[in-house]
Amino acid sequence: MPSYELAMVLRQMSRPELVSVLKRTAESILDKGCIIRNLENLGTRALPHKISEHGVVHREGSYFTITFDSAPTKISDFMEEFGRDIDIVRRRIFKIEEPEEFQCTLHEEMLPPAYRKDVQEMIDIAKRKQKPKFKYNSGLDYYPFQK
Amino acid sequence: MLRIIGTVVRSAASSTRSIVTPFSSTTLVQRNISAPVQSDEPIDIPNPYEKERRECILCKHNIVPNYKNIKLLSQFQSPYTGRIYGRHITGLCKQKQEQVEKAIIRAQNCALMPTYHKDMDFFQDPRLFDPEKPVRPHKY
Repeated sequence: MPSYELAMVLRQMSRPELVSVLKRTAESILDKGCIIRNLENLGTRALPHKISEHGVVHREGSYFTITFDSAPTKISDFMEEFGRDIDIVRRRIFKIEEPEEFQCTLHEEMLPPAYRKDVQEMIDIAKRKQKPKFKYNSGLDYYPFQK
Repeated sequence: MLRIIGTVVRSAASSTRSIVTPFSSTTLVQRNISAPVQSDEPIDIPNPYEKERRECILCKHNIVPNYKNIKLLSQFQSPYTGRIYGRHITGLCKQKQEQVEKAIIRAQNCALMPTYHKDMDFFQDPRLFDPEKPVRPHKY
């Protein structure tokens, strides 16, 4: 099962209410046969902009993330279920992926254009796209007659 | 060049031959021919003028941008319009810039970060780059 992260914003509530909402969401995840790995509280603060959800305008919210392992087919069900919950202002589910190892390419990018690989490729493409020119085969590098 | 050196050596040998006995002069000429290494011959070394390999600031400190790290991500956001600065301003490598952009959009999606301005809490943060002086000239 791949790991997912549920990032959600809960509406402004009292502490016991907040606990009950978190319990509800966690149980709905567990009921689907998923494993919860982590629950993180990112704090309560003013939203960066007002958000209108379920017919109410929210200006403050509590941020939580839940990391869980689940089957990929169940993600849409979670989105639908949490979308119906009026205490959840916003919910997003992201797949947790290991960052790929790579070498910093800044040095190559800062080279003069003629030495950059992508520029050389572009020049090659332009050369390939040029129309074939007719050759006179006269052995001269100019046209000897009046045009 | 080599030919010139050869002539110089030969003339030197002939000049010595006129002074020293013929037997010793032949040994001198032979030694000159058998010694191929000259003191002023070009030596095989790596390019001494090659510039030091540069790394972008996130690669240097081995930082992977995360959408929950708003304080870091807001440093790549314009305080006037909230737009993400381009690669020619931030001075990041291609992959890191892509990761940063993805993380910022994710954070804005989760209502963690504003989209049309920079968070007021992070206005006093140190600047990683100067938007007035881009690393490369602007595309337009």
